[in-house]
Amino acid sequence: MEYARKPDPVDVVIVGMGASGGTAAKVLCEAGLNVVGLERGPWLRSREHFSGDEIKFLNRTYLWSDPRVNPRTVRTEENETAVPTPFSMVPQMVGGGTVHWAGWLPRPRPSDFMMRTLHGDIEGASLADWPITYDDLEPYLSKVEWAFGCAGLDGADKYEPYRSTPYPTPPLPPTRAGKRFYEACEKLGINAMPIPQALVSQAYRGRTPSNWTSFWNGYGDPSGMRSSTLDTFVPEALATGNLDLRSECYVREVTVGPDGRARGVVYIDALGREIEQDATLVLLCLGAVESARLMLMSKSRQFPDGLANSSGQVGRNATFHEYLFAVGLFNDEQPLYGFPGNYISGGSFQFYETDYDRGHIGGALIGASHVGQPVNWNFPGRPAWGSAGKDADRDFYNHAMKIGHTLHDLPVASNRVDLDPDVKDAWGLPAARITHKAHSNDIALAKWQVDKNVEILEAAGAWKTIPVYLERGRASGNTCHQHGTVRMGTDPANTVLNEWCQAHDVDNLYVLDGASFPTATGVNPTLTIMANAWRCADYIAQVHGKGRRERLPRARSGPQQVAAS
Amino acid sequence: MTSMADWPIVLAPVDPDAADRLFFTDHEWDTIEAATTRIIPTDHDPGAREARAVRFIDRFLSGIDYVYAAADGSGFLRMSGKLADAWRGRIADMQETYRRGVRDLDAIAGQSFGPDFVSLSDDQQDFVLERISGAPKPVPVVRDADGANPTIQVYAFDDGLSFFDALVAHTRQGFYGDPVYGGNRGRVGWDVIGFPGPDSLKDTMDGTYSVREYYLDDYAWPDLIPHLRQAGGQ
Repeated sequence: MEYARKPDPVDVVIVGMGASGGTAAKVLCEAGLNVVGLERGPWLRSREHFSGDEIKFLNRTYLWSDPRVNPRTVRTEENETAVPTPFSMVPQMVGGGTVHWAGWLPRPRPSDFMMRTLHGDIEGASLADWPITYDDLEPYLSKVEWAFGCAGLDGADKYEPYRSTPYPTPPLPPTRAGKRFYEACEKLGINAMPIPQALVSQAYRGRTPSNWTSFWNGYGDPSGMRSSTLDTFVPEALATGNLDLRSECYVREVTVGPDGRARGVVYIDALGREIEQDATLVLLCLGAVESARLMLMSKSRQFPDGLANSSGQVGRNATFHEYLFAVGLFNDEQPLYGFPGNYISGGSFQFYETDYDRGHIGGALIGASHVGQPVNWNFPGRPAWGSAGKDADRDFYNHAMKIGHTLHDLPVASNRVDLDPDVKDAWGLPAARITHKAHSNDIALAKWQVDKNVEILEAAGAWKTIPVYLERGRASGNTCHQHGTVRMGTDPANTVLNEWCQAHDVDNLYVLDGASFPTATGVNPTLTIMANAWRCADYIAQVHGKGRRERLPRARSGPQQVAAS
Repeated sequence: MTSMADWPIVLAPVDPDAADRLFFTDHEWDTIEAATTRIIPTDHDPGAREARAVRFIDRFLSGIDYVYAAADGSGFLRMSGKLADAWRGRIADMQETYRRGVRDLDAIAGQSFGPDFVSLSDDQQDFVLERISGAPKPVPVVRDADGANPTIQVYAFDDGLSFFDALVAHTRQGFYGDPVYGGNRGRVGWDVIGFPGPDSLKDTMDGTYSVREYYLDDYAWPDLIPHLRQAGGQ
């Protein structure tokens, strides 16, 4: 191992420069702190590197994390040997998951923060309230929507919680498939609305929306229309002069000093050199799988079971939002067109809250989406070859639509991320091992929502509907959504972080990605992750960074407040 | 090594008229071409043969020179570092999968009909493909079908694919992928299913290519969302 000269210590080192790391970098650099941002992946240039190449982006995984470099293993039961499987392979690059994403930007709902208060203890689940409420997060949801760029339609969502600001830009025009969704929803009395999306539909903060290619979900956007931290918060942080961004630098350990506090990190740079970067504060922003993995790899005399893991909870209560859906095939003359659109179309929050008549708790944001480009458009059971396969493409590519949801899966203590004992990554470090078994509530919730999707497709005139349930009993990892693993809460005995996402055990260590989520919420998590990272970064800059300490009142979402509301 | 952001652009887009072989032997080329022709057959529309899917697969298997086109389609990216190592391993495994696959096609052909896969009739070739896939030839989509539906992934990795699954996936990519990779000659795949693809990858970067006309033009949100009508419109 070759060693490089040790760089000067800094105020803050951020590990991972994606959604949460980019947000924290912007807030902390603008507050005047010196920040080193370490990103294990590349720092690509949108205008130069992105285009509508389906093979490159969807089939040869130019952005997705390569499973030969960063393998993961998966199993359902504790006693099984986990099998190498590409599972939730979020792009590892500057900008992270905000580079390739479609940009779903829905807000969470007040109920998401108080699942245990609302539902009590559910057998087999580890339901918990968040130590913060929707009201604590609301100002930051607005900050992200306005600073990052967002499109949405004010007043369209009948079930929308309090918003302190309107949407900064209006929604994109609907597609024909989107129109069909709205019409079907009206027929069924369902309140449909354009799903808030991380893009700008009008000239906004120096950005001009100009990507009408529909090469969208999974592709990088060369135009700057999509909101990504690569094109917004990271350049804003750099503009302060306070960010030293080092890409292709892979952190393998958070180091701990004799006082039990974090001293900094050790990383391997692109040339294979090992470098130690000391910092006053260490922020983990790698995503819930990789943040937990790094903490478990960071063993020390003080923390033999992994950094800040005196509770034994690091890695546990992982949730993954499996995407479940129904595809409708149509045989009418009028094409719906499979390709146009920015993936997301209309959706509804009408079935989001618990209705005990359904026999399960929780609900879902449902959303219609376009089917995509020719190589990878698909429906389950599509004939794979021969004239039947060719006919299926010819008959249905422009006559199909999809409605789905990301599953609000319940936290389960044994669903977790730990270190695989056998499989190593390209640097010889242990792979993340996922153990996941769906809770019975997950299966029931998915069934009800997918059946509702089928009902809407039938009302839209589908000739055939194809539902995809959670029958296999575990998540396949088909979304990039990762939460839990490093829970925030008030009790150091059963949570890892406090309400500022500061480790109970290590006061200069923060985890700002989705790992802190006590429960998964039923919405796409990035807006919540970014708003929470901004909230915690504000605390770091304004309170912790000034040598002070504050705590939120306990039981923020306790029963008293429910009764009073 | 060179940072991924600075991988140089080398070579040129695959010439739509190129007939040279970079990986396959003549026999392998002919066998895979015949197999792709059964995967996406020619009927009143062009199929995999006209799209030159076999050339697409040949370029893909030739090493790591044709993995990633440059964003603007002017050539290909010369990879380096751990990603290049990963792709070398992946392509080496896939080369072996195809070499063995061709031998298996010929072996089954020889047992049942002889002398090799290329010389069989369409129906006989389908029989061999059924044997190698382990399932009957797919039947047309029918309205009522049952059985559990497996999920679909938004990303697709080639690792671990059987020869038959790789052949199906790559034939599809060679039929519908951007022509820069050597398949979809003359954009025939796009024409078959009615996809108005771009003239060049560069056109997708600078605003030249647009499908804006396929979005709705004449719409008002209150017409689509009754709640807004009740609320007094927008």
